[in-house]
Amino acid sequence: MENKSLAKKFLGEWSTKTIVAIAIGAALYGVLMVYGSIPVFTNTYLSSAMIVPVVVGALFGPIPSMITLLVGNCLADLIGGWGFWFDWSVGNGFLGLFVGLLPVYGADIKNGIFKVKHMIIYIICCLVGNALAFGVVTPIMTSLFYSADLEITFLQSFASGISNTAVLVIVGLPILVILSKRYASRTNLKEEPEEE
Amino acid sequence: MNNRFVINYAPGSTPIHKLNGATKVVGFIALTVAIIATFDFRVMLGIFLFCMACIASMKPNWKPIAFMFAFLFVMNGIIGSLLVLIVSPGSGLTKTGMEQIFWSTASGRFYLSWELLWYAFAMFFKRVASLASAVLFVLSITPSELAAGLNAIHVPYKVCTIVSLAFRTIPDIARDFTDIKNSMQMRGVELEHVSLGKKLKQYIMMLVPLLMSSFAKVENISNSMDLRSFGKCKGRTWYSENPPAKGDYIARGVIALIFAWCVFYIVFFRNIHAPIHDFWCPWVPKEISGYWF
Repeated sequence: MENKSLAKKFLGEWSTKTIVAIAIGAALYGVLMVYGSIPVFTNTYLSSAMIVPVVVGALFGPIPSMITLLVGNCLADLIGGWGFWFDWSVGNGFLGLFVGLLPVYGADIKNGIFKVKHMIIYIICCLVGNALAFGVVTPIMTSLFYSADLEITFLQSFASGISNTAVLVIVGLPILVILSKRYASRTNLKEEPEEE
Repeated sequence: MNNRFVINYAPGSTPIHKLNGATKVVGFIALTVAIIATFDFRVMLGIFLFCMACIASMKPNWKPIAFMFAFLFVMNGIIGSLLVLIVSPGSGLTKTGMEQIFWSTASGRFYLSWELLWYAFAMFFKRVASLASAVLFVLSITPSELAAGLNAIHVPYKVCTIVSLAFRTIPDIARDFTDIKNSMQMRGVELEHVSLGKKLKQYIMMLVPLLMSSFAKVENISNSMDLRSFGKCKGRTWYSENPPAKGDYIARGVIALIFAWCVFYIVFFRNIHAPIHDFWCPWVPKEISGYWF
């Protein structure tokens, strides 16, 4: 596992498994986006869907995580019935890239490796990813496609950026810890070298 | 829970349903390009009416569609427009070129002009038109047709498989989700009327089994796909890939016209004779707006 090159970690392995995982992740994202919002106050919701790209990223890498978010967002738009918002889908895909960086900086959920160092890098990645995705990419797309006022788009994306970061940190971190513990308890067996 | 689904899993019987997957995908792209290219209300209205006519010809269930438009109206028509009016009341002037103020606060910080209202309306209508085209697309296509159609426009077939597989698993995952939620609530996990910290914890408890069970499926599905030699060859054929019929040639002709119009519109009206102000407004004279007619 350790001898994989950085580029390979970045792209992820495009085996059948990855493809199926991306598809299931996208469907999961769509369902959670529509039905799995956590009511915080009376009219404010946190969308638990944002943890799906984290898990896909942790298990398969950043590019699969990005595609999960892109496809998942379109699906969520479909089943939620609020019409297509491509500008947001692209921004979200961009965010997925950052959130899914976990394997690149050494966190290996599958083998139970998720230390404090990784947690800190993960939080930084969430912040940077949200800032770029919703501070730069989405507003530009919106103003290009719909000629909306930049100020307003910034306001709207600022709000969603904050709620995304909240979910990614408050819900995402414990889930990563739980998952890595579960996987760790299963891997007291030595894995045989994979045959290619 | 299911009444809001608009995805079709079974092919329909009207002429638009019967079109080839590739025709539908290309048609959707053409309409999207057309909508993104224009800020002219008249053009948007034309596209909108065209889409609605096509939707009506498919005799759909109007209830979820009405819900979609209502949602868009609340999100974009009301909240979005209010934001415009509050945050940047000057955009009426910058976007259409004129400003006839009919109401303003004493300080002059907030004011309303007819052009501002028109701008908010036109921006909302652009979203409406793009929603209409999306609804048309979604109603007409089934997941496997979508995959076949995407592959026909040279999207790598592994990506096409992702799309169609994701579509197929949505009902399964939605069912799992309700099952897990119900059984957790049966065991006394309270999701309402508890403090925020506890609520978050409960949700995490609920999400972990969902994630585990969903990703456990991955192994099964990918093994059975591998057994059927998925990914061994460069291409693949599609179950719902039909040879184009007579209706397809007619539809493709229409789509080609839309594309040609898009190119002409973008080159001529958006670049060579680009309007000075983006949004066309019925009462702004063409000397100011820069529109030709």
